[in-house]
Amino acid sequence: MKIVVCVKQVPEVTNVQVDPATGTLIREGVKSILNPFCEYALDHAVRLKQAFDNISISAITMGPPQARDVLLRCLELGADEGILVTDRKFAGADTWATALTLAEAIRTAVPDFDLILVGKQAIDGDTAQVGPEIAEILGLAQITYGVEVTLSSSRKQVRVTQEVERGYEVVEAALPALVTCSKGEVVRRAPSFKDVLQARKKLIRTIRADAIAIPEGQLGLQGSFTQVVKVFPPPAKKTNTILQNLEVEKAAQEIFSFLKEKRFL
Amino acid sequence: MHEINSRSAPSADFSKVKCIEGFECIQAEYSAYLTDESKLSARPFDYLFFPKSEAELAAVMAELHRRNIPMTFASARTGLVGGCVPQEGALISLEHLDQVQAVYRDPASAEWRVKAQTSVSLKNLDGMLRIKQFPGLEQSPDPVVAQGLRDFREDPNQYFYPPDPTEMSASLGGSVVTNASGARTYRYGPTRAWVRGIRVFLADSEYLDIPRGKYFASPGGQFVVWNTQGVASTITIPDYPQPRTKSATGFYAAPQMDLIDLFIGSEGTLGVVTSVDVALLKREEKVSIIQFLDSDEQAVQLAEAMRAESRLQLDFLEFYSGNALNLLRELQKVEPSTVGMPAIPDDARGAIFFEMSFDPHTEELEYAALEEVIASCGASLERSWAGYESRELDRFKVFRHMVPETINSILAERKKQYPGIHKLGTDMAVPDGHLQEMWQLYKSCCEELNLEWYAFGHIGNNHIHVNILPRNMDDLNNGMQLYAAFARKAVELGGSVSAEHGIGKIKSKFLQYMFTPGQIQQMRRVKEALDPKGILNPNDIFPAEVHP
Repeated sequence: MKIVVCVKQVPEVTNVQVDPATGTLIREGVKSILNPFCEYALDHAVRLKQAFDNISISAITMGPPQARDVLLRCLELGADEGILVTDRKFAGADTWATALTLAEAIRTAVPDFDLILVGKQAIDGDTAQVGPEIAEILGLAQITYGVEVTLSSSRKQVRVTQEVERGYEVVEAALPALVTCSKGEVVRRAPSFKDVLQARKKLIRTIRADAIAIPEGQLGLQGSFTQVVKVFPPPAKKTNTILQNLEVEKAAQEIFSFLKEKRFL
Repeated sequence: MHEINSRSAPSADFSKVKCIEGFECIQAEYSAYLTDESKLSARPFDYLFFPKSEAELAAVMAELHRRNIPMTFASARTGLVGGCVPQEGALISLEHLDQVQAVYRDPASAEWRVKAQTSVSLKNLDGMLRIKQFPGLEQSPDPVVAQGLRDFREDPNQYFYPPDPTEMSASLGGSVVTNASGARTYRYGPTRAWVRGIRVFLADSEYLDIPRGKYFASPGGQFVVWNTQGVASTITIPDYPQPRTKSATGFYAAPQMDLIDLFIGSEGTLGVVTSVDVALLKREEKVSIIQFLDSDEQAVQLAEAMRAESRLQLDFLEFYSGNALNLLRELQKVEPSTVGMPAIPDDARGAIFFEMSFDPHTEELEYAALEEVIASCGASLERSWAGYESRELDRFKVFRHMVPETINSILAERKKQYPGIHKLGTDMAVPDGHLQEMWQLYKSCCEELNLEWYAFGHIGNNHIHVNILPRNMDDLNNGMQLYAAFARKAVELGGSVSAEHGIGKIKSKFLQYMFTPGQIQQMRRVKEALDPKGILNPNDIFPAEVHP
């Protein structure tokens, strides 16, 4: 059984600060990491591999050559092989062009896949579009916001606990299918140092534009229906009112009136 | 040169300095200032000052000096020995002296340095260095400062300040006056090794600028400080040797020592540091590894083997006892995500935690030396956790702190039933070659008395923290006797009774274990020369009853 996990390299935002002048992230000294939701997707794949025999996991990413780092990370965490989809012609892809490229790369590299797991969204773009788009392009059933993933005993269906607005629902889909993963109860894995060393010995395949059957006009920026025109911070919200230079009694009266008016009292 | 002139600070109006008067008011409105991380309680004191500048600080000190009012200094209040907890007089909070003043390349040493006021926190400094943004420096009217910042940003390398005394909310100045150390002291030494200059205000409110490498004790072991009135104070350096371990016990002393080293680690008893220059080091990529083991003894054996392996260059080498791992396992049973790590392996009965350089982009990683030394102790790298991304390094660091934090929360609960009990945490280090002996003593004594105890910490520096958690007053008394026995043994082996926490008020009784009455007298004379009225951080280092 073959599971494909789609992953993305994103900036490590835990220590990032925003430039007050431009409203953009200060990238100085910021490293890239495996998108956390992609890591949860991989975690589900590794759990399935631990619970069922004969499962192989392929981690795939589209990006510049340095995106290889996230594939290494996946190999440390339990993936069996990495697939790097990289070419200058892919640059500037929006979610549609990305999904089209990834779908075709999966068809090319792992034609006999059974299950595709993806993170529900990337923490940099936050679109949550690529996973569902891949499913549509490949004509697969899709289940979104999965927090528990398991297989039926026949291994012909995937059963997923998915987050819904009022709690959880358990749904099934016939394989092949695609599941987008949310966090759930996952405690992130820590590979052993042996895993880290051995990951460097595992296979990472590279797929370029000429290896997939998509016309050049549908790749990268050319094949994108959307473009980022401008990045700007949302206008600051007025969050408070400060009463200054008032007598204590007067200030208290003002606060009382305000709370009354807003129906807090 | 062994003579130095003090200078007068710019003047400020004492009456304009923010001051809270009266203990009742301080208790009611400023209760955070009544203790520090030691949880020692303040005794009634009369004034709480918040100077906003060195000039205001000098005005306060001059006035209090004139009125013979003792002054205790506080910054982040993260100390563990009650150093900044006042017992009388005035508390002066330095928290508003919190600006980075410059980042510059020292031409002679070719090293990058930061000049900062005393209350810049280590966490903020680290954050500023990571993104090379320093609020206030961008708009500096001083062209030299502005140019230094531009040059720093143009340098493609990343830099960091190596001392890592665990508590990153500590202030830079506080870490200097306590000569703070921590896990990375294993490779980089204590704070002292990274201080390149200080400004220190003396009891009479005049100040000294002391760069490293300029003022050395005379061959006769003296310094002379001239004040602006032309009056000289002569300091005679004590003649005791330093222990062959890391130590935060008493004043540093060495033949022809650098004057700066007298103030580093003096716990604010000789003067108050307002500004420091520290050196930075190029940041390298690291991997943190937690190696799980079969027993505490295997951990001690592996630590010694790793230290002896010259091909391994470790940043730190830390220890978790088997019972400390059990403590964390219990937390994981209640809530798997509490510890922030996967389940601790069931068969782990001890662990070593270390960090070393690592390039994740290299195709072939060569760690034969590590694999060999681990295998030689009967362990396997398959039973480890490894992380190298900065979020992973942070996660491992949090895991490291979980043991002491959990212990503190257990004790906080226990204090509700027995208000008199407190944690007994050893801070002793012994020289190389004595680790196993000291460990056996710790473990056998604690087990013999059936005490609840956990051990963790800086095994690479032979500096294991044994934390005894009294369950009742009998345990407390037994534990205190044991603590004293441990301290005597550490000294007997040539070690230190306080390797990193300092002496402050809580550990002053242990000074006599390490120093003879004559040597303590020599220390007191240094204090008398610089603070004749004995009004700076009274009761710190020297026990109250024998205070000069």
